[in-house]
Amino acid sequence: MNSRYQRRFEQLKSENRKAFIPFTVLGYPDRDRCRRTLAAMIASGVSALELGLAFSDPVADGPVIQKASFDVIESGFKVRDAFELVREARALDNEIPIGLLVYHNMVIARGGEEFFRQAADAGVDGILIADLPPESADELAAAAKRQGIDLIFIISPLTDAERIGQIAKLGGGFLYVVSRLGITGTEARYDDQLRALLERAHAATDLPLCVGFGISTPENAANMYELGADGAISGSRVVELVDRSGENFEVALQQFFEAMMQTTRE
Amino acid sequence: MQSLGYFGEFGGVYVPETLIPALEELEATFLRIQTDDAFQTEFRDLLRDFAGRPTPLYEAKNLSRDLGIRLFLKREDLLHGGAHKTNNALGQALLAKAMGKTRIIAETGAGQHGVATAMAGALLGLKTEVYMGEVDMARQAPNVFRMKLLGAEVHAVTSGGRTLKDAINEALRDWITNLRDTHYLLGTAAGPHPFPTIVKYFQRVIGDEARAQMLESVGRLPEYIVACVGGGSNAIGMFTAFVDDADVKLIGVEPAGKGIETPEHGAVLAKGTVGTLHGMRSYVLQDEDGQIHETYSVSAGLDYPSVGPEHAYLKSIGRVRYDSADDEEAIHGFHLLSRREGIIPALEPSHAIAYLERLAKEIPPGSVVLLNMCGRGDKDLQTVMNYV
Repeated sequence: MNSRYQRRFEQLKSENRKAFIPFTVLGYPDRDRCRRTLAAMIASGVSALELGLAFSDPVADGPVIQKASFDVIESGFKVRDAFELVREARALDNEIPIGLLVYHNMVIARGGEEFFRQAADAGVDGILIADLPPESADELAAAAKRQGIDLIFIISPLTDAERIGQIAKLGGGFLYVVSRLGITGTEARYDDQLRALLERAHAATDLPLCVGFGISTPENAANMYELGADGAISGSRVVELVDRSGENFEVALQQFFEAMMQTTRE
Repeated sequence: MQSLGYFGEFGGVYVPETLIPALEELEATFLRIQTDDAFQTEFRDLLRDFAGRPTPLYEAKNLSRDLGIRLFLKREDLLHGGAHKTNNALGQALLAKAMGKTRIIAETGAGQHGVATAMAGALLGLKTEVYMGEVDMARQAPNVFRMKLLGAEVHAVTSGGRTLKDAINEALRDWITNLRDTHYLLGTAAGPHPFPTIVKYFQRVIGDEARAQMLESVGRLPEYIVACVGGGSNAIGMFTAFVDDADVKLIGVEPAGKGIETPEHGAVLAKGTVGTLHGMRSYVLQDEDGQIHETYSVSAGLDYPSVGPEHAYLKSIGRVRYDSADDEEAIHGFHLLSRREGIIPALEPSHAIAYLERLAKEIPPGSVVLLNMCGRGDKDLQTVMNYV
C-alpha cells in the first residue's frame, strides 16, 4: 500500500464510495486561474486530480481540450511552469493522488527517466501517455517504476480480456476506461459495450477502473458507477465552466464538483 | 500486432489505445493481400487502365545539355490525377474494400493526395471525406474544386497552423471515432506502422518501373537519383528499387522555405531532432518541451514538420544523402523545366529540379541522373503567379 492511488482507492472502497476525478489543462486559462481551479478541486474534496500538459498536436483530444492546449502554448507557458503548478497543488494536499495526462513526445523530449524524475519531484503520482500503447511501453514503464511513478493506461470497448491483462501488468494507479470510441469531450453517447468492458476488466485486474470521455453531469457519472466503474473522470466540462463563468468561475466549479462528489456517495 | 514496423530506431506504433484494433486489422489485411491473386490482379489492372501505368521514362535532353549531365525524368506527372499519389490511393482504397469498410478519409496538403483519394473513392464506391488545412485550401483552390467534383466532402481544418500537420491530426481524430466503418487512407510514407510500409508497397512501382526502363533504354543504372522529400512517399517509392544498388547514389531534397537558418522551413532531416508525431518515431522540428513547430514551404505538399521513418533510417545509416532547396530555388526550378523542356512541374519536384544545378557542378560531366518528376504544376499556377 505504497502509492497515493492505492491508499485513496482502498479508502474509498472501505467507505463504499466511488471516485470522482476532475481534469484540466495545466496553465489554462492562465497561471493564476489554473492555480485557483486546482485549489477549488482540492477544496471540494475530489478523489484525485488528472492534469493535462498542453501539447501542440493532441490527437486524442476533442475541440475543447485542443483549444485550451493551443491557448496555453501560445501564452508561453512551459512544462517547467506546469510542474510548478503541480508542486503548489501538492503543497495544498499531501494525500490526494495527482495524475498527468501527456503525449509521448513531451516525455521523450526530456528523456523518459528525467521527465518522470521531474514529475515525481513536483508531486505527481501517475502519468498517462495518451499515445503510448502497451506494445511500445516497456522501456518507459521500467523508467517510471524506477522513479516511483505509476504508468496509467487506457482501455476501450474494443480491448479484449487478454490485452487488458497485459496492460494491467505494465500499469499502475488505475485504468482509464474510454467509455466509447472517439475523442474527449464530444457528446455523451454511451456504448452498450461499456458494461461488458467493465466486467471483463474487473475479471482481468484488481486495478480500479475510472471511466472518462463525455462525462459532464452527475447523471453521467452515476450511470458509470451503476455500470460498474470505480471512478469517473470529467475534463472538457471543467474547462468549459472555467471558460464561461467569468470571475465567478470558482463558485461554478465548486458547485459542479460538489454535485459530482454527491453521486460518489450514493 | 505482428510487427511494430521499426526501421532501425525509427517508426513504431505510438497511438491511442483506441486505434490499436484498426491498425491490427489493417496490418492483417495488408499481409493477406500480398499473396491474394484477385487483389493483385485488380490493383495491377487499375494501375494500367485507370491510372495509365507504366509512366514514361523521359530523357530531358535540353536540360541535360545545359547542365552537362544525362538527365532522365520519371514521369509521374503523367499519371492520372497528375501526381504519384494515385498509386497509393488506389492500393489503399482496395485495401479498404478488402476490410469491408464503406468510408475512406484522408488528409491532404497540396491537395494531390486528396484528389487521388477522391478519384479512388468515386471509382470504388467509397464515401470520401478529406481534411485540409484552411491555409492550404486557399493556396490550392483548384484541387479543392477537383475533390468536390469527384464527390468528396472537404473539411477545412482550422486548428494549429492550419496546414498538413493539422489535417493529419483531424483525420486521426475522425478515425479514432469512426474506425468501425472507416479506413484512414494516409497519403505519405509516415504515421504508425503499418502505414509507412503500406505506402512504400504501393509506391515502389515507381522505382521498379524506372529501374527496368533505365536498363532497357540506356543499358545501365543511373549514378544519381534525386527526389523531393516532404513526408517522403515519392522518394521512398523511387529509392526502394535502388537501395541495394550500392553504386547508385540517392539524394532527397527537403524544402528549405525561406532558409534553413530561419524559423520558416520544412527541412526536418537537416534541422530536426528525434521525436514522436503522428504515431511514429522519426525526426521532428520541435522545441525543448517537445512542442512541434509550424513549418513553412512555398509548396504545400512538402510543408510537414516530420518525415517518414524509413527516411530517418536511411539518413542514419548514410544510404541516402538529404539536402534542401529553398522557395526561391524551387520557383526557379519550376520555370527552368517549363521553359527548357516544355513540362510544367509541381512545386514539390521543382525543389529537386533546382537542386540539379548544384549537383551538376559537383559530379563528373555526363553523369546519369534520374529525377522523380512526381507531379505536374497545374495546381501551383496561382502560387507561382503570386510569388514575389
